[in-house]
Amino acid sequence: MTGMTTDGLLAQIGSTDPATGLRAVGALHRLAEQVEATYVALARRQGWSWEQIGDALGVSRQSAHAKHGR
Amino acid sequence: MFEKFGQPSRNAVQYGVEEASRRGDRRIGTEHLLLGLLHDQDTATVIGVGVAEARTKADALDAKALDAIGIPFGDFRPAVAPRKLTRTPLTSGARSVIQRTVALTTAERSRRIMPRHLLLALLEREQPDPAAALLVECGVNAEEVRRKLIAPAR
Repeated sequence: MTGMTTDGLLAQIGSTDPATGLRAVGALHRLAEQVEATYVALARRQGWSWEQIGDALGVSRQSAHAKHGR
Repeated sequence: MFEKFGQPSRNAVQYGVEEASRRGDRRIGTEHLLLGLLHDQDTATVIGVGVAEARTKADALDAKALDAIGIPFGDFRPAVAPRKLTRTPLTSGARSVIQRTVALTTAERSRRIMPRHLLLALLEREQPDPAAALLVECGVNAEEVRRKLIAPAR
């Protein structure tokens, strides 16, 4: 990226409006949270342990449980 | 920060917190305060948009933004809402809105902060503020709503 001109950057990205791009980042975060909640619930129903879920998400067993445990 | 809020405005803020967690956001933003306000029937009538419609429009803004950067939005539908937030920090925009709400209430010499004060503060926001973007997406003319809110107050 170093040395890339602004024009080079603009040529490579889909939208040149920062408001749109930053909104998309927020949308991805939201989507990730919704997918996570949905599939952690499914995994629990199918008997996954919090440790297995934590490993799959790349977080500790404790944080997976703190976030999604009932 | 919320001492002077009357019950209906407290409810609006509380619904805003719920809107943030159901969307999967980690902070309470101005758009969540707006969605929270729309749970109040009188407010929804003044704005001319219901909460269900506004949620759909917020999702549409997300889908449009993703599409614009080259990530087509699929048809994933969350079966489970993200967990309730335990801590609910405000975005700095939302904090400004709350401060402005208090100032508007004081200027009117009202003792209690009512939903219309919160709405007046939200209507002052300008894009790229998320509440302003959502109002535009809903086809709401902020100036028109503001006039409706100010006129009957005297």
